[in-house]
Amino acid sequence: MSGILILVLRILLAVCLYGFLIWAMLTIWHELRAHTQLIHPQHTPTLHLAILEGAPAQEKELALPEIILGRDPNSHFALNNETVSARHARISFHHNQWWVEDLHTTNGTYLNDQRIEAATVLVNGDELRCGQVVLSIGINP
Amino acid sequence: MNLLFPTSTESKDHIQARLMSWTAGFILIYAISLTLAPAARLHSWNIAYRWTHWPAVLVWIVGFALLHRQTRKYTPDRDPYLLPIMALLSGWGLLTIWRLTPDFGIRQTLWLIVCQALFWFGLKIPNLIQELRHYKYLSLSGILLLIALTLIFGAYPGGFGPRLWLGCCGIYFQPAEALKLLMVVYLAAYLSERQATTIGLLQILTPAFLLVGSSITLLAVQRDLGTASLLIILFTLIVYLATGKRRVLLISAGLLSVAGLIGYQLFDVIRVRVEAWLNPWLDASGRSYQIVQSLLAFASGGFLGSGPGLGSPSVVPIAHSDFIFAAIGEESGLLGGVGLLLLLSILTLRGLKTAIRAANAYQRLLAGGITTYLISQSILIIGGNLRLLPLTGVTLPFVSYGGSSLLISFLSLLILLRISNDTQDQPSPLRHPEPYWTTAALLLTGLFALTLLQGWWSIIRSPALATRPDNPRRIIADRYVLRGQLLDRNNQVLAYTEGQPGNYLRRVTTSAVAPVIGYHNATYGQSGAEFGFDGYLRGLQGTPTSLVWYYSLLFSQPPPGLDVRLSLELNLQQQATQLLEGQTGALVLLNANTGEILAMASSPSFDPNQIEQQWPTWLNDQRAPLLNRAVQGLYPPGQALIPFLLADQLSRADLPNRPLALSYSLQGQLFECSQPLDTSATWNEILRFGCPTAALRLSEGKTSQDFRSLYEQIGFSQMPALPLPSSPPTQPDKNALPTLSALGQDGLRITPLQMALAASALNQQGNRPAPRLGLAVNTPTQGWIVFSNQQPQPSLPANGIVRTLPLLAANGLPIWEISANALGDEQQPIAWYLSGVQPSWQGTPLTLVIVLEDARPLQAAQLGHQFWQSLLSMQP
Repeated sequence: MSGILILVLRILLAVCLYGFLIWAMLTIWHELRAHTQLIHPQHTPTLHLAILEGAPAQEKELALPEIILGRDPNSHFALNNETVSARHARISFHHNQWWVEDLHTTNGTYLNDQRIEAATVLVNGDELRCGQVVLSIGINP
Repeated sequence: MNLLFPTSTESKDHIQARLMSWTAGFILIYAISLTLAPAARLHSWNIAYRWTHWPAVLVWIVGFALLHRQTRKYTPDRDPYLLPIMALLSGWGLLTIWRLTPDFGIRQTLWLIVCQALFWFGLKIPNLIQELRHYKYLSLSGILLLIALTLIFGAYPGGFGPRLWLGCCGIYFQPAEALKLLMVVYLAAYLSERQATTIGLLQILTPAFLLVGSSITLLAVQRDLGTASLLIILFTLIVYLATGKRRVLLISAGLLSVAGLIGYQLFDVIRVRVEAWLNPWLDASGRSYQIVQSLLAFASGGFLGSGPGLGSPSVVPIAHSDFIFAAIGEESGLLGGVGLLLLLSILTLRGLKTAIRAANAYQRLLAGGITTYLISQSILIIGGNLRLLPLTGVTLPFVSYGGSSLLISFLSLLILLRISNDTQDQPSPLRHPEPYWTTAALLLTGLFALTLLQGWWSIIRSPALATRPDNPRRIIADRYVLRGQLLDRNNQVLAYTEGQPGNYLRRVTTSAVAPVIGYHNATYGQSGAEFGFDGYLRGLQGTPTSLVWYYSLLFSQPPPGLDVRLSLELNLQQQATQLLEGQTGALVLLNANTGEILAMASSPSFDPNQIEQQWPTWLNDQRAPLLNRAVQGLYPPGQALIPFLLADQLSRADLPNRPLALSYSLQGQLFECSQPLDTSATWNEILRFGCPTAALRLSEGKTSQDFRSLYEQIGFSQMPALPLPSSPPTQPDKNALPTLSALGQDGLRITPLQMALAASALNQQGNRPAPRLGLAVNTPTQGWIVFSNQQPQPSLPANGIVRTLPLLAANGLPIWEISANALGDEQQPIAWYLSGVQPSWQGTPLTLVIVLEDARPLQAAQLGHQFWQSLLSMQP
C-alpha cells in the first residue's frame, strides 16, 4: 500500500514539474504570438481617402496594410498634380494605428499644416497635404 | 495557493503566481513523499516517519511567498519566469540535501533565510545595478585579496580537503564564488564603456585580460581549477557578446586546451580527473570511484527514478554538493533530470531575452554575462556527473549545498530580475546581434547533450550497470528485503535471515553446513550456495518478471527472496562434519543414482555467524578454513585409481596374475599399500588396500594416451556442473610417463567431488550421475518447482564393473571399498577412501568418498567404516 501511495505522489510530483514547464512554455508561446500579431495585424481597418482640392475629385476606401500615395498612376491612390512626387507618402497600419511618413519628397508632406519628418499617427478627420493636393482622412472606428 | 501567491489582472503577475503555485505543489509533494518514504522502504506503516525537513519547507514557502509579493510591488515589469525557476531549483536542492544529510540541511535552510532576506532588500534598493558599476574595482580587488588570504588562512569546513574557505565560528565563505559574479559585473562595465571606441580589440582587452589572467593564476595556485576554467569560459563568452568577434571563441578554445594540457602535466588533480573521465572502468574502485558511483546512481534511477527517499544516492561521495544532480537523477529519474535541464533551458532563453531588451549596453552585457555564468556552471558540473566533461568541483547553482554558492546564485538572479524590470520596447541598438543567438544555441546544445547523455546512462546502460558487483545498492537492498531460506531435503532450515527490515542479518542454523552454504555478508561478499543460488534467494530468478518490475517500480527493491531446498540432509551433514573434526580433508556422500549430494564436509571449516569477528583470522589461517575442499581442493588420485583401472581391465580381459611384490620404489620414492600386508595377501586385499604394484599390473601396456581417454571417460577432465564455486579441471603433465600415470602421480589433480561422481558410476552400471545440490525452489505463483536434472553420462563399460565390485567387497559390510595412498605436491601423504554400496543393497545407492591430508589411509578407512555403520543402521 505504502508503495502505491508513494507512486501516486511520485506521479503527482512529475505532474507538478511538467505542469510548471508546460505552463511556462505555453505562456512564452502566447507572448511570442502576441508579439508577432502586434507587428503583423491580421485585420486592417479601412481608410477613407478623399481629395479636397488641387486635383480632380476622387474618393477611395482602402483596406491595405500599406498605401502609397503619388503621381505614379500605379500608386494605390494616384494624385495627378505636378507638385506631387511619383512616390510621395506612405500610409501604413501597425501597432494598431495608421501611420503616415513622407518618402523624402521635394515639396514635402503636411499633416494639418505641420510638415512631417518622421512617421506620424493619423486620426479621423486629419487633413493631409501632398504638394498642393489636399486630402481628408477618414478612419472607420 | 492564491492566498500564498496572490495574482492580479496584470498578465505577468498571473504567470508568476501560477508558476509559483506549481512550484509550491512540487515542493509540498516532495516533502510529503520524503516523510512517507520509510514506510515504503520497510513495507510497513508502523515505523518512524521522517519529519525533520518540514521547518525547511515552511521557511521556503514563507520566504518565497514574501518574495513573490515584493517582486509585484517593486518590479512590476520584471520577467515573470525568473523567480519561480529560482524557487523551484532552490527548493528541490534544499529537500535533496535534507534527504541526504540532515545536518547540512539545517545549515542550508539557514543560508536560504539569509539569501531570501538579501533578495527581499535587494528588490528595494533603487539604483542597485548602477551602484554595482561604480564599485566594480573596489569589490573585485577586495575579493581577489580575500582569495589571496585563503592561501594563508584557508580552511575546509568538512575537515580535510582543498582550503578554499574563509571563516570562523562555524560560518564559512568561499570568496571564489563571489569572484565569478564580480568578474561578470566588472567585464560588463568595462566592455560596455569601451564599445563605442574604435581602437583595436587587443588594446581593449589587455587590461581585462591581465585582471582575469591574474585571478585565474591565483585560483590555479589554490587548485580551484573548476572555478579557473569557468572564468576562462565566462571571459570568452562575455567578450564575444560585447565584440561579436568569432575568433575570440576559437582563440579561447585553443588557450583552454593548451592550459588543459599544461595542467595535465603539472597538476596531479587534473591528471587523475582526466584519466578517470577518459576511462573510468579501469579503476572503478579507486581513482574513478566518484564518477562510476555517479553513473551507477543514474542507472539505478532509470526513467521514473526510485522516488524521494527511496534510492541510495548517499553512496555517491559528496552527493549533497558536487554530485547533487546524480542524487536527483537517482530519485527523480530521467523524467526529473530532463525537467531540471528544461528549467535551465527556460532560464537561458529568458536571461538572454532580458539581455537583448536591456535599456543600455552595460545592463545588456551584465544580463548576458549572468545568464552565461549560471548556465555554463550548471553544464560544467552536470556534465561532470554524467561523464560528458571531466569532473570540476563547481556547484550546481541554486541546487547544491553551500552558502556562498546559494548566496551568489540568488544575487545573480536578483540582478537579472532587476534588469528585466528595466527592459524597454525600444531597447538600445544592438550592434552585434549574432553573438546572442550563437550563445543561446551553444548553451542550449550543451543542455540538450546532457539530456541525451542522461538517457544513455539511465535507460540504455542501466541494466548492465545495475548488476555490477561494485554497485552497493544490492547490499543495501539485502538489509531491507527478506532473503530466501536455504533448506535441507526434509525442509529443515539451514540458512535464514533474521532481524527487522533495515537491519536484516544472514545466519546459519549450524556451522556444519558452512562448506556448502558458504556465507553472505555485506562486507565480504558471498560464497557457496549463497552465491550459487543468489538469483533465487534474492527473488530475481523464479519470480515472474511482472512482479520483479512491480517491486522495482513501487519500492526500488528486488522482490522478497525465494526459499531453495537443497539435497543435503542436515543430520548426515552434521555427522560428516563431526567425523572430520581435527582432520584436514573432505567428505562427499552422494546418492549414486540421482547425483544428489547428501553430505559434503570440509575440514577445517568456519562458522558463518562469526564472519564479522573472525574474517581476518580465517584469511590468514594457513589451513584455509574458507576453502571447500570437496569442490575446491585438488588432490592427485594416487592409487585410488585402482577401481577404475580394474573395471577398465575387466571389461576387456581377465584379471592378470597377482603381483609378487607389494611396494614399489620409483626415483627414490617408496610407494606402499595403504595397510601393511604380508606376502600372502590375496588379490582382493592387494586391490582393496591400494597397493602400487596392483595399479602397475593393471596398467601394463597402457600408453599416456590411454590414460587420457580413461580420465575423459570417468569424468576427471570435466568440471562438475554445480552451483558452487569449484576448481576447474586439470590435465596430466605432457611428458608424464605411463608409470607415473598408473601410480596416479602424473600431475592430474581432481576434487573429491569428481572422485565421488566417478565412484558413483561403479554403482550405476557405468552411468556417471550429474551432481545435484538444488532440489526445488518455492515460487510465489506455482509453489515448489523442482529443478530439472541433468542426464547421467556413460562412463566405464558395465561388464567390467560387474566383475570389479565383488573384488573390492569389504569385510562385514554390504559395501565395496578401497583405501589408497597418494603423494601431494610437497611429498605430504594424502589418504583416499572410496566406497559404495554393493549392487545387492536395496536401500539408497550411496557413494562415500573421504580424502585426508597428512594422514594415513587407515585413518580414512576407519572414519569411513564409522560413517557406513551409522548410514546402514538408518536404512532398512
